[in-house]
Amino acid sequence: MNNLRDVWNKRFVFYINELQKYLKYIFSGHIAIVLVFVIGAAGYAYSEWLKTAPTNFPAFLLVAFILSLVFMISPPVTLMKQADSVYFLPLETKLNDYLKLALRWTYFSSVFIAIASFIVSIPLLTKVGGVSKNEVFVLFILVLIIKSWSMLVEFNYRCASNGKYVWVDRFVRFLLMFSALYFILNANFIVALGIVIICVIYLVAWQKKKKEMSFPFDHFIEVEQSRMMRFYRFANYFTDVPHIRGKIKRRKWLNSFYKIVPNGQKNAQLYLVMRTLIRTDDYFYLWVRLTFLSVLGTVFIPFPIVAIVFSSALAFATVIQLKHALLSGHEFRMDLLFPINPDARKAAVNKLLRMIQLVQAIFVLLGVLIQGNYSLLMLLVPIAVYVISELTVRMSKK
Amino acid sequence: MTVLEVNNVTGGYTRKPVLHNLNFSIGKGELVGLIGLNGAGKSTTIKHIIGTMNAAEGDIRLNGKTMIEDPALYRSSFSYIPETPVLYDELTLNEHLQLTAMAYNLDQSVFEARKDSLLKEFRMEKRLNWFPTHFSKGMRQKVMIMCAFLVSPSLYIIDEPFVGLDPLGIQSLLDQMQARKEDGASVLMSTHILSTAERYCDRILLLHNGKIRAQGTMDDLRAVFKMPHATLDDLYIEMTKEQQDEQLA
Repeated sequence: MNNLRDVWNKRFVFYINELQKYLKYIFSGHIAIVLVFVIGAAGYAYSEWLKTAPTNFPAFLLVAFILSLVFMISPPVTLMKQADSVYFLPLETKLNDYLKLALRWTYFSSVFIAIASFIVSIPLLTKVGGVSKNEVFVLFILVLIIKSWSMLVEFNYRCASNGKYVWVDRFVRFLLMFSALYFILNANFIVALGIVIICVIYLVAWQKKKKEMSFPFDHFIEVEQSRMMRFYRFANYFTDVPHIRGKIKRRKWLNSFYKIVPNGQKNAQLYLVMRTLIRTDDYFYLWVRLTFLSVLGTVFIPFPIVAIVFSSALAFATVIQLKHALLSGHEFRMDLLFPINPDARKAAVNKLLRMIQLVQAIFVLLGVLIQGNYSLLMLLVPIAVYVISELTVRMSKK
Repeated sequence: MTVLEVNNVTGGYTRKPVLHNLNFSIGKGELVGLIGLNGAGKSTTIKHIIGTMNAAEGDIRLNGKTMIEDPALYRSSFSYIPETPVLYDELTLNEHLQLTAMAYNLDQSVFEARKDSLLKEFRMEKRLNWFPTHFSKGMRQKVMIMCAFLVSPSLYIIDEPFVGLDPLGIQSLLDQMQARKEDGASVLMSTHILSTAERYCDRILLLHNGKIRAQGTMDDLRAVFKMPHATLDDLYIEMTKEQQDEQLA
């Protein structure tokens, strides 16, 4: 390896292959169907809502808020490895070549999310905010610039501070971007210019500070490791990723749930999988996230049919992912030797999924009660959650 | 009365067998040591007995039945302590024991009584509500040992039990094995600690290249190798020398 450019190129190829390997599983599976339904339902609800949106709706405020939130999180992708802190150390002066490539990739791999959220907000800006086509184009250029500013500040900040208090910097950036966008949208260019100047000073200040510090290898290695770990964790919902061990928490407040399982040989697997689900962060939060989204959809989607499609898609996703997670794994476990029916685990998982999906349906029912439209169609949402869950439990193979 | 019969077993991971025509049996109340170099086939033998690998030829009977004939009886006839502890990260020590008791259909009162004495014996009373992530290697091993002894089966299959245990732990394990033996249980133990094997095992199986080179009491083995005063270490080294000579020849 002659120089660090080559190192980057090699790692990059490996990284892209690794991504492809797992993305293939993620998108070839059920998630594609779920995405179609969820995005379709959300998009339809959005476009229907736009037709009847009140003219005094604070469109600029909302757009500035959401875009700033999206731009705020711009962690650098450095592809650094554990050993780099030793082997790169003598090359620290040449490190810039490597980091330039890393930042370029960081920008192009994350700008899509910024662009996508901007595109989603265009109809809101034009229909409700009265923004013209030319102005949209100018805003688009601004989005690209603001995103790159945000990414550069985050990188320089992490270098200068050794990654401490990243959220403070993020909050500052959020405030700056939010106010800049808000004043630009409201055509208050003098104030906006003032904020832009502050932004430039903020960036330059961290760049200067960075030069005084040595490069914090350990911090970037840690960022990189936890980023890859998150990806592997996510991929693990769809396929078996080797060596993924979930974090465990006791969650004592859920202890009373275990009492549902009576003592006895036929309940041994249920005793086990119930604790696995509740105490493994990955599984537990998957259910919490999807349930929360489902309730959110029920409360805020004003069209019952769309809400039914949305919540059903999420119920399907919950069941199929948890079923996969709880039944996969090729490692040796002691319960493989138990003198019980080999199908007992599958039966226990199905039983557990039925229980937790009933709870999900009840939460969705609460959502229906909160949003106040007690039409028959709206009451079908929790029923759909339960029925789709049951069908998924029965029809999925694993 | 034989508890375990291994009849003409040939088997391995792929089509190329690791084990060749393995024949041995373990009687009631016997402690049998399975001795061999790394790669001799000890673990593969154990995997065949516990049923995670299937024999290409031959059969294995526990209390007279093969796994296929009566899986429930076969599985409840043994308990297994693996070389590396296999625990559930999400279960506390107490829950490991409870789960084992449920799976092997132990009566609650029997479970409580056995649990208390095992916890005391292995000095783990204070760790009852801990998760395995907070355990040292030795403590993890103790969890496996306690689960195995809790079941109180007719055969214990123990793979390299002494590594990682502290001296008190080793003594407790040996005491427990002795006590179970006196109650009529049998033990198959694979180990590299030859001095312990020599001292405690009733019989020894010397496994080499997937075949049984010699088996029997220490005296039987000494006779086979024609080394009247040899220790197990001497015999073991002699066996590996033979192998080298064969290769040179």
